[in-house]
Amino acid sequence: MPVRQLTEAVVNRIAAGEVVERPASVVKELVENALDAGASRIEILTDGGGRRLIRVTDDGAGMTRADLDLAVERHATSKLADDDLLTIRTLGFRGEALPSIGAVARLTITTRHADEPHAWTISVDAGEKSRVKPAALTRGTSVEVRDLFYATPARLKFLKSDRTEAEAVRDVMRRLAMARPEIAFTLAGEERMPVTWAAALPGAPGRLARLGDVLGSEFRANAVEIDIERDALRIEGYAALPTLTRANSLGQYLFVNGRPVRDKLLAGAVRGAYADYLPRDRHPLAAIFVTLDSRDVDVNVHPAKTEVRFRDAGLVRAVIVRALQEALLRGARRSATTGGSATVSALRPAPSLPSPASGGGWGGGRGGWDWRSSPARLPTSAAFASAGLAEAAQSVFDTGGPQADTRPVAADSAPELVDRPLGAARAQLHDTYIVAQTRDGLVIVDQHAAHERLVYERLKAALDRDGVARQILLIPEIVELDEADIERLVARADALARYGLVIEPFGPGAVAVRETPSMLGEIDAQRLMRDLAEHMAEWDDGLPLERRLMHVAATMACYGSVRAGRRLKPEEMNALLREMEATPNSGQCNHGRPTYVELKLSDIERLFGRR
Amino acid sequence: MKVTVERAELLKSLGHVHRVVERRNTIPILANVLIRGDRSKLELKATDLDLEVVETIAADVAPGGSTTVPAHMLYEIVRKLPEGAQIVLEGSGDRAVLTIRAGRSRFTLQTLPDSDFPDLAAGDMTHKFTLAAADLKRLIEKTQFAISTEETRYYLNGIYLHIAASGNTAMLRAVATDGHRLAQVELPLPAGAEGMPGIIVPRKTVGEVQRLIEDADAEVAVELSQGKIRFAIGAVTLTSKLIDGTFPDYARVIPLGNDKELVVDKAEFEAAVDRVSTVSSERGRAVKLSLSAGRLVLSVTNPDSGSATEELEIEYDADPLDIGFNSRYLLDIAGQLEGEAAVLKLADPGSPTLIQDRGGASALYVLMPMRV
Ligand SMILES: Nc1ncnc2c1ncn2[C@@H]1O[C@H](COP(=O)(O)OP(=O)(O)OP(=O)(O)O)[C@@H](O)[C@H]1O
Ligand SMILES: [Mg+2]
Repeated sequence: MPVRQLTEAVVNRIAAGEVVERPASVVKELVENALDAGASRIEILTDGGGRRLIRVTDDGAGMTRADLDLAVERHATSKLADDDLLTIRTLGFRGEALPSIGAVARLTITTRHADEPHAWTISVDAGEKSRVKPAALTRGTSVEVRDLFYATPARLKFLKSDRTEAEAVRDVMRRLAMARPEIAFTLAGEERMPVTWAAALPGAPGRLARLGDVLGSEFRANAVEIDIERDALRIEGYAALPTLTRANSLGQYLFVNGRPVRDKLLAGAVRGAYADYLPRDRHPLAAIFVTLDSRDVDVNVHPAKTEVRFRDAGLVRAVIVRALQEALLRGARRSATTGGSATVSALRPAPSLPSPASGGGWGGGRGGWDWRSSPARLPTSAAFASAGLAEAAQSVFDTGGPQADTRPVAADSAPELVDRPLGAARAQLHDTYIVAQTRDGLVIVDQHAAHERLVYERLKAALDRDGVARQILLIPEIVELDEADIERLVARADALARYGLVIEPFGPGAVAVRETPSMLGEIDAQRLMRDLAEHMAEWDDGLPLERRLMHVAATMACYGSVRAGRRLKPEEMNALLREMEATPNSGQCNHGRPTYVELKLSDIERLFGRR
Repeated sequence: MKVTVERAELLKSLGHVHRVVERRNTIPILANVLIRGDRSKLELKATDLDLEVVETIAADVAPGGSTTVPAHMLYEIVRKLPEGAQIVLEGSGDRAVLTIRAGRSRFTLQTLPDSDFPDLAAGDMTHKFTLAAADLKRLIEKTQFAISTEETRYYLNGIYLHIAASGNTAMLRAVATDGHRLAQVELPLPAGAEGMPGIIVPRKTVGEVQRLIEDADAEVAVELSQGKIRFAIGAVTLTSKLIDGTFPDYARVIPLGNDKELVVDKAEFEAAVDRVSTVSSERGRAVKLSLSAGRLVLSVTNPDSGSATEELEIEYDADPLDIGFNSRYLLDIAGQLEGEAAVLKLADPGSPTLIQDRGGASALYVLMPMRV
């Protein structure tokens, strides 16, 4: 096929693929344009998750007739005054958004500039531009986008449900609202109650007020202010005390020179700064605003302009960490949470071992855990550490014999047991670990973790069979949550009800908890709902609830839960091993740690240099 | 300071006071009890910053003075000294220690300066009244079990004491709820309590007050303000902060219109619930009540272990009804009832049930059913 120049329509459609990924990206581009035009009030209306309609109305400067005509052309912008990509002060600069949107949807712009006697309107339908016509509008600009992607059906197929798209729109708006507290935003649509963020004062108090509006009053009450300046780099914002955390890092927001961006650097910096205060799987809420010379950051990384490249990312990260640490130190007086890094790291689980069931071993060189390079690692696991301490405290009373239960364990009576996957129990160490002999190695079982898992599996089967008894609440608990969270929870209400939790939507920003699993007794519904919602944002299940139920189950006496520290008879140990073999998923405890590890004879031989 | 005191006197008083002291303390002086000798009196005082207990006992004091020592340790020492012993507490002028002597035993405890001891400044009390100790005890005992333990709902972590009208009479009413059940007890408003604010008295405080009431025939002087409450019980004065929160509008959940009325012998009912719930697994603990004319069948089914039923004769003439309750909650409430016959007023298996003594209006209990 001969080479030929692509038509402009095709070029725009290709560009649109990068700029306009989904309705939320259209909203983002249009609102950014409104902000660039100096608007102080911006209203956003969507329908069908933005697929059917997006309308953004502002009270900004508007465009003249000539500008309007040009604005929908490719690479036409008013924002790069002297073609200088190094000093970008506006959110837009590529001159790409409007033509891209026009290429894949029905776009209509109506605008009134102060120099014009009346307003003008233009439309672009799948790339087909109309003439500029007179219109009625007293002020600002109104941009309407209908039937997004109708011109590119393939794209349309990739859109998620209206609800999910609406949620993405809301997310984009939350970010922009946090970035610009002094602007009033209204977000409306058939699928939600309108959200209004009233204009806030400039400066830190206004910012905190807006963050409170967007992230919740709890954040406002539990946030510490950040404000630090190093050379030309300024870090401001608010971060939550270590007591207000989430299960994921979705609640951490970064803004660079007023632009909401996504960057892994933030999560890393936050983790670093909170390392002494938090376990790894908890993430504080934070909104961090970085201001730096526009020459020190490149925003032209991706057409969507949500990524940036810092000239000196290491410096930015370090200053963010420093800023957070300083703020936390101040906040430490307010927060009840203490706890040194030592404790946290001691409680951290040992690196996960290759699953013995999958045939992997401990030996170095097989991608597993290499005992040679980190001999100190094993005893840092909590169980070892505490067992060791207990032993030390008691050793004066001890007879000095080995800590193992060395009563002979029916070694010869059942020789066939060693052929079982988990072998024949030989001893119990520290009243916590079962050591079993297999045909070609040995197995060490954490009796508590293993038994907890068995209880879990048993209870799960029982739940599937009988469901969970529910206590109806005398006073339903009203829990305030994000709309997105509420939607997630309500969408899974049936599944939650099976686990004994009955909820229903309660007005625009809350859910009512009406019935709770009676085995949990009195619960902190607020926290449970939040954990559930957060977990659901990443995973589509109700694990936090299940886990709580399991936790209660595991501590129930009627199951005769075998705890660490309980001495087991040989018969009991073997029974536990056999039950583990018969139970699917018994190789890992409820927290994803192994319940047993296997040491092959060859590995042991290598330990002693025999191989 | 030098104080000579009877072991029995000191032990009794320390027994009252030391319980307030938390076992684990981040502020060292809070682990201590303040002892102050003044002429023929020895004053002991302990606090956890929310609650303060002071007791004064007779002693020989010369010279006077004051200091603070670890409360639990002092209590243990005194407890282990032989009965009938005379105890001498002596502070040394320059060294920060207190010596305790009795017979041939001698202890030296380190002290912290009494000037650092926190004072729960009570401020002005706006309302003062007296209650018969038995009445106060009843207000607490009948409601205590329903206090919430869920700390996030701190405003439910106590007993709500307030003025309520019963017909034309003003009453002093105590209410507690944990969101699953509710208990309400009232008595005629004592003189002096008119116009008092509604207050939430913390769980720990009511527990201590209840324990301090040893003589049911005595009177307890109560003083309160918006933020604090004080009880004078014999030689002991207990001052406590109140929970700063709003108690929910509980009246809405009291189902006064329930028309299905069941009357049952309380003792029989309590024993039957207890018996059938033996087979219920820990989780759930639901007991099903099946009502039909003149007959109540209690049943529990546990898929893991078996089932149990028991039939009781009752007074009941409304439509048949099946309803489930947490057996522990039923037993808790039955345990509070005082009369021979219990009345349960029901609406349907998803709505609150009212439980009372027959003819006894001064206490009522509301229980939410379970879905089983
Ligand atoms: N709401 C508005 N009010 C006033 N002028 C606007 C508005 N929206 C767009 N314009 C004008 O139209 C031009 C083109 O907008 P468009 O969004 O396509 O490009 P851009 O904002 O310059 O850059 P980018 O596409 O990268 O965001 C802008 O430069 C601006 O001059
Ligand atoms: Mg733009």
